[in-house]
Amino acid sequence: MQILGQLIVSGISVGMIYGVIAFGYQLTFATSKTLNFGQGEALMLGALVGLTTINFLIGAGLGNLAAFLIMLPVVCVFGLLQGAAVEFFGVRQAVKNKSDSGWIMATIALGIIFKNMAENIWGHDALRFPSPLPEAAISFGGVRIQPMEIAIVIGAIALMIAIEIFNRRSIYGKAVIATANDRDAAGLMGIDTRLVIMFSYALSSMSAAFAGVLVAPVTLTGATMGAALGLKAFAVAIIGGLSSGIGVVVGGLILGITENLTGFYISTGYKDVPGLLLLLLVLSLKPAGLFGAKAIKKV
Amino acid sequence: MTINKFALALAATTALTFPALAADAIKVGLSGPYTGGSSSMGVSMRDGVKLAVDEINKAGGVNGATIQLIERDDEAKNEVGVQIAQELINKEKVVATLGFINTGVAQAAERFYQEAEIPVLNNVATGSILTRQWPTEKTNYVFRNAANDTIQSSMIAAEAITRQGFKKPAILSDSTNYGQLGKADLTDALAKLNVTPVAVEKFNVGDTDMTAQVLKAKEAGADVILTYAIGPELAQIANAMAKLGWKVPLVGSWTLSMASYIDTSGANGDGAIMPETFIELPTTPKRKAFIEAYHKAYGGDRMPSPVSAAQGYDSVYLLAAAIKQAKSTEGRKILAALENLQEKVEGVVTTYDHPFSATDHEAISANIPVMGLVKAGRVVPAHPEDVAGDKALRVKPKG
Repeated sequence: MQILGQLIVSGISVGMIYGVIAFGYQLTFATSKTLNFGQGEALMLGALVGLTTINFLIGAGLGNLAAFLIMLPVVCVFGLLQGAAVEFFGVRQAVKNKSDSGWIMATIALGIIFKNMAENIWGHDALRFPSPLPEAAISFGGVRIQPMEIAIVIGAIALMIAIEIFNRRSIYGKAVIATANDRDAAGLMGIDTRLVIMFSYALSSMSAAFAGVLVAPVTLTGATMGAALGLKAFAVAIIGGLSSGIGVVVGGLILGITENLTGFYISTGYKDVPGLLLLLLVLSLKPAGLFGAKAIKKV
Repeated sequence: MTINKFALALAATTALTFPALAADAIKVGLSGPYTGGSSSMGVSMRDGVKLAVDEINKAGGVNGATIQLIERDDEAKNEVGVQIAQELINKEKVVATLGFINTGVAQAAERFYQEAEIPVLNNVATGSILTRQWPTEKTNYVFRNAANDTIQSSMIAAEAITRQGFKKPAILSDSTNYGQLGKADLTDALAKLNVTPVAVEKFNVGDTDMTAQVLKAKEAGADVILTYAIGPELAQIANAMAKLGWKVPLVGSWTLSMASYIDTSGANGDGAIMPETFIELPTTPKRKAFIEAYHKAYGGDRMPSPVSAAQGYDSVYLLAAAIKQAKSTEGRKILAALENLQEKVEGVVTTYDHPFSATDHEAISANIPVMGLVKAGRVVPAHPEDVAGDKALRVKPKG
């Protein structure tokens, strides 16, 4: 029982990270029916910018926790700008031309460029990210949890709730939802849908960058950290449904937990298999995802 | 100026300037990963090689000619390694090549040197197969001055089982060739001691959560963990053990001495034990001089990968001695000289007295490496008595 608890707890913290990145996929898909395939790289850039900032702040004499909290807004602003840039250079033209695939290649290409840039700036080695919280694990009835793992779960949920509230309550958020519901109608109502799409990309990269600094203290930071996470989050987005915010969170938890359970009870060599099997299963039985609304493509 | 005239002019100028230089220089290729996950080993190796080349050139070169290094970054990628091999052989016309950190890259690239009859001194890659890739061919142009995986795995098993008395080892390895071949070697070495591992787990390069693997080892009742993987994932193992509040010794291949393991695992990584051909300590006059020269040239007070630096340095002196003896830069003659090297080469790792023969291309024998221990961010001898007194300098037995 204790082992099961330990595996589930570790799975939840990894799953929440998958969830936040997948949430970013969902944000842009809602407004523009496009995705940023460089989402993993957005996470990596966020973590590395965060690392430079936090090291600078710690060097200036701040404590780890204070430095981390001051670093967060810096990373969020960076994420917003980076996302806007991806939209401007990679997606705008494709959306304007109603191209079905241009944005796929463009966002992948931008992702590769970002990765190469990061390799040139921060080098190729994995770097240690200073932990804002004590690293010693706390024991809950034999299940050991690192404080940072709790922070990951809380941080991820807080970010997603904040974005949801913003979308539902503020006038700008309403423009996002209107665009998501019917882009052409929103445009006719005087909403600048181009700006809204850019904004959704900015928000999407911001959530990835935020996930990057959350996960960095328990993993390592480096130019290649985003690739595997971005891909898994993509599977999560498919499992949960690209049109549902709740879906990606549940999808993330399912994937994170099954990975750990398979690793322990079946074989660590097959750790990644059940998640992908689940992906195939969902695609064949419920193509819109577990929580996705069925989309009918009007031709 | 037409293109033809331009080409003619270019040819004329190159003809005027280059032959003079080429006549003086012995071109030696250098292939290793200076970027990517293995770069700490690649860069240290390159620094060691350059240090030795500078010393030799300052002392008048080899047979009156200076050594000119042609450095190429193979990025630890097999296909890049192959391209570089072809470029070094066909375009640069090197007389020999040093380097190779990754077994996969070495295996892919060395075939071309074998065909071109150009000797390779493999100074870091450890895959046991590398020095016997062509058992059916009469000659073999690949030599090595690193401790191969057969040596390392039996040292790991001997340390954990025989010397420290552990009974229930668990093996954790990554899913690359390096990890899986090492796992097989380790299982064999354990079998010779009549021990079966209680758990054998694997993970992918880039995995960040090792909870499942470490828990399995723990539940299987392991009293020691044996590893075959590289730095970042090894650090994740140490971190996962600390998280689970479970502490058993880590004993593994020499990659436990990588800076990326030591730095990223921090205090959790202390106590890890691995076979090392060189520990950064001035235990012999040659080692003292090497350590001082290295830090004078490249700064810092700790080499990113001391083993790679020392083996890189030694490989140059071995090659230089062979070229001197061959009085030629022809591949076959260098090969013959390497297989019957008359001069005793005093290196950093050991003193090489007839290090190679026609049937044995391994300069490092099982008695040369000692176990190192990670302690407060550095690698120190695990058993100080192993390197005390005249045991500091270990040489390959004759015959």
